[in-house]
Amino acid sequence: MAILVNGDTRVIIQGATGKQGQYHTMKLLEYHVRVVGGVTPGRGGAQVHGVPVYDTVARVMKETPVDASMIVVPPAGVLAAAIDAIENRVPLVVVITEFVPLHDALKIRGMARKAGVRIIGPNTIGVISPGKSKVGIMPGFIYGEGPVGVISRSGTLTHEIASNLTCQGIGQSTCVCIGGDMVKGTDFVDVLELFRSDPETEKVILIGEIGGAGEELAARYLQEHPYPKKVIAFIAGATAPPEKRMGHAGAMISAGFGTADSKIRSLKEAGVTVVESLDEMIRQCR
Amino acid sequence: MKLYEYEGKALLAKAGIPVPKGDVVAGPTEAVAVAAELGYPVVLKSQVLRGGRGKAGGIRFAADGDALVREAEALLALSIGGERVEKLLIEERLTVARELYAGITLDPLTLLPQLMISPSGGMDIETVAHSTPGKLYRLPLDPLDLPGLPQVIDLVLMAGLQGEEMLRVAGTVQNLIRAYFRYEAITVEINPLIIDAQGRVLAADAKLEIDDSALGRQKEAASFTRRERLLDPLEAEAKAGDIAYVRMDEGNVGLVSGGAGLGMASMDMIFVHGGVPANFLDLGGNATQERTAAALRIVLKTPGVEGILINLFGGINNCESMAKGIAQVLDALHPPQAIVVKMRGHSQDEGWAILEARQISIVKFGTTEEAVLLLMAKLKERGVRGSGHTG
Repeated sequence: MAILVNGDTRVIIQGATGKQGQYHTMKLLEYHVRVVGGVTPGRGGAQVHGVPVYDTVARVMKETPVDASMIVVPPAGVLAAAIDAIENRVPLVVVITEFVPLHDALKIRGMARKAGVRIIGPNTIGVISPGKSKVGIMPGFIYGEGPVGVISRSGTLTHEIASNLTCQGIGQSTCVCIGGDMVKGTDFVDVLELFRSDPETEKVILIGEIGGAGEELAARYLQEHPYPKKVIAFIAGATAPPEKRMGHAGAMISAGFGTADSKIRSLKEAGVTVVESLDEMIRQCR
Repeated sequence: MKLYEYEGKALLAKAGIPVPKGDVVAGPTEAVAVAAELGYPVVLKSQVLRGGRGKAGGIRFAADGDALVREAEALLALSIGGERVEKLLIEERLTVARELYAGITLDPLTLLPQLMISPSGGMDIETVAHSTPGKLYRLPLDPLDLPGLPQVIDLVLMAGLQGEEMLRVAGTVQNLIRAYFRYEAITVEINPLIIDAQGRVLAADAKLEIDDSALGRQKEAASFTRRERLLDPLEAEAKAGDIAYVRMDEGNVGLVSGGAGLGMASMDMIFVHGGVPANFLDLGGNATQERTAAALRIVLKTPGVEGILINLFGGINNCESMAKGIAQVLDALHPPQAIVVKMRGHSQDEGWAILEARQISIVKFGTTEEAVLLLMAKLKERGVRGSGHTG
């Protein structure tokens, strides 16, 4: 089971011929992901590590069904690549690229919603169901198979939490990095909903950070729809000085909204176990 | 990128929104020349990016040339919230009949831009939202299906305008919506949007923030040059190397991290265990050998740093090149500070071997918290001050 991706997921890589694209095509193949094609307009007919490259998503789909796309093109090309995937109804589109213009992200989100396509990201390391498959750029071996679902805004904090658990012998069902930007295709609530009915997931870890309202919305959802699984949360940035941007476009606090306090309070009120340290997170997962 | 009022007004004017007549100046002589064109009385507006300009006395009026020179000199000697006033916008003085508010910003709940109109212009809009939420009229903007004039008219009618005035305001608001999308803004705000004694609708102020990720194709906004205001040479050095670095005062623990989330969590853990972060540093997704070395150099130079936590993952990056970057700096500088490296991911064995050859403490399988505890223990051994803060 797991959510979003599993061993059967047929994956294409949009931007496979670029430097990042080639490297991560290789990494996906090493992880035994079913990579069925690459897409780079103008490079149709090429091969990347034995994977055939096509000019458009539609061209791949003439040859084989596609379940997911990983977009690793430069920021200025993301909108066009995403439109190609969305118009061809690729069910899951993971936008790895960082620094996607906000207004492009708004359009992608809007179009995907109308088409019934799920976007993860932008600015994400992607999704991994350890031992089964991944549509992402995470090093697979620091993730282990097991019962804990992970949802995180930050890529490296996903690595941190998952690898901490793996080192302690606690595996993960699926780790979903929803991305560090303010406007994203999938938020905490959407992934909580997926984990709700996944039989393999016994506990869910929610890794939030200051800025935005995703954590508060997750708290509201958990309060309104009683959740059958234990949810453990950590909010990064509690000690960050206010009004300073700590890198993530999403991590901005304005006028008291999106503070660590507001997130921690609302999650606790919703019955979530909020931990203050990363070691405590491991203890709560045992 | 936040725009100065005069830059924002230039963009709004291009989008068809009327703005008061005026020009930006850097000194009293220029100010007098502009005023001569406009005719007295004029208003002098300090150009700063921070808020609170009005309360800080950054807006003055002048009825004649002597007053203008006096006021211009006074304003150009002023600092507002730590920001020195270097330019003034000299404008015609308006006779205000009515002050409204019109703005568009991203709503964190719906993740859609939201148009907001209020008949209570000139006030802080956060205050209006809190004290009289009924006076703030909102409309979500779907970028794929922008509202037409009738929808905008409906909102402006709700805000209490009628007839010709209402129509002129609605037209202006529609142009504001166009400007928001055309210039790829994160926020645009006109506060106040004025109706003057002659019935003209004018943007008396303009606050725009343009998405930094769009500056590559937003030529007009990108052409607004900024003199680097970074007072801190280390922040300037980091910026030149495209490294996200924020310096904190009074800290004793330096930080090199890959990823903003991991960086913030590292700071939290440092605090929880009695240290005080001296900086935030995010190498981002492209941590090459050179960039890792540059980052470590900056942190080593950060005043007050007694210990350094290097917290990296080989994801997009690989551990070997990051370790080479660390080794390069250690070999060249032999820094006295205590250093703990936590690093795993792609090519971790190669990376660890490079660091082990230099007797650097490595946390291989432990958590960030373990790395912080190890660093704090090292600092304690050295008799370094524990801050009063305990967790």
